[in-house]
Amino acid sequence: MSRSLLRSLLELRAPSTSRPAAQFRLPVRSLSTTPLRRNSPTPRNATAPSSIPTNPAEAASLATESRSQIPQAAEALYPRIPQQVNPPTSESRATIAQLLPLLRTQPAHYLTAHIWGRPYLVTAGDQIRLPFKMPGVVPGDVLRLDRASTLGSRDFTLKGSPYIDERLFECRATVLGTETEPMRIKIKTKRRQRRNKQVRSKHHFTILRISEVSINGPEAVSL
Amino acid sequence: MTIRALEKISVGQNGIGSFILQCKRLDIHYCDHSGSSRGMNAFIKTHLAKFAQTHPAIEFAVSPRPRKHPVMIGHYINGRQKSICVANMEPSQILKKAELLRDASGDKVKRVNKPVTSVNESVRGIWSPYHGNGMAV
Repeated sequence: MSRSLLRSLLELRAPSTSRPAAQFRLPVRSLSTTPLRRNSPTPRNATAPSSIPTNPAEAASLATESRSQIPQAAEALYPRIPQQVNPPTSESRATIAQLLPLLRTQPAHYLTAHIWGRPYLVTAGDQIRLPFKMPGVVPGDVLRLDRASTLGSRDFTLKGSPYIDERLFECRATVLGTETEPMRIKIKTKRRQRRNKQVRSKHHFTILRISEVSINGPEAVSL
Repeated sequence: MTIRALEKISVGQNGIGSFILQCKRLDIHYCDHSGSSRGMNAFIKTHLAKFAQTHPAIEFAVSPRPRKHPVMIGHYINGRQKSICVANMEPSQILKKAELLRDASGDKVKRVNKPVTSVNESVRGIWSPYHGNGMAV
């Protein structure tokens, strides 16, 4: 009882940031991970930045959208890494124009999202345990994963070289928190020494949940 | 006829529709006299108000615990709790521990080898040797 009362008081006190504020929607920023607090559900037909960004290969491919201004600290932490798109050949243009609508209509989709150079084959609703603690994010942040090497359904697969054009899909992940593992103890021994050394290590891992995977039609790349 | 339980048709997954912070309550215990609480008392005076303000989803309970070391206890939605003794720590260290309690899911820590966990069934299905075009030997 007291807890629910306190809850309601807290809700009164704090302007609820978890509600979607439809008025303040910036287009998708192709900026990297920004700590935006408790992001709103993402805009469905957000458009990619007008200038096609270029990209170094193994860099973090996370973009974030926020209602507020992106903080300077996050800007410094995750500089803007635009995607470099090779102009598609006429054959690949024809294939995308013909087969991408078919891929889109098959219900379940998967994609291989790359986060800091590592591939994760995910579908909507999956949980990713990153092998590191991602700096500058708090639980509830929404990241846009904009580097993917494959995108597919049951019968169709779109492959990127090395990455798919980021305008063709939207994949978003929610930061759930940080987890850890039991402390590892490695016993180091040396020959002819009577002592053993215990080396202890304990790492922290950021947990993401893929909240959305959607595919845009060929018109997103003006085909 | 036996009674059968209703089959579960969906699994709750945090972060898909909405996100709920797993830490629901943070108990903060301090002592006025002992030296091990010096950092904790400074933390309560300087950092706690701002930290509590930025986390409206967490209930903060500050209470004295005389003649004992200062402790922070996080309570989680799954019913578990996680406690950290913050004796003789600086306020900045205590803030880090508070962030650790906030970020934790409350589950027991386990070693996980696979990076992706999924409840969805495979998109492309399971390979079968009896279907498709076959393989020339």
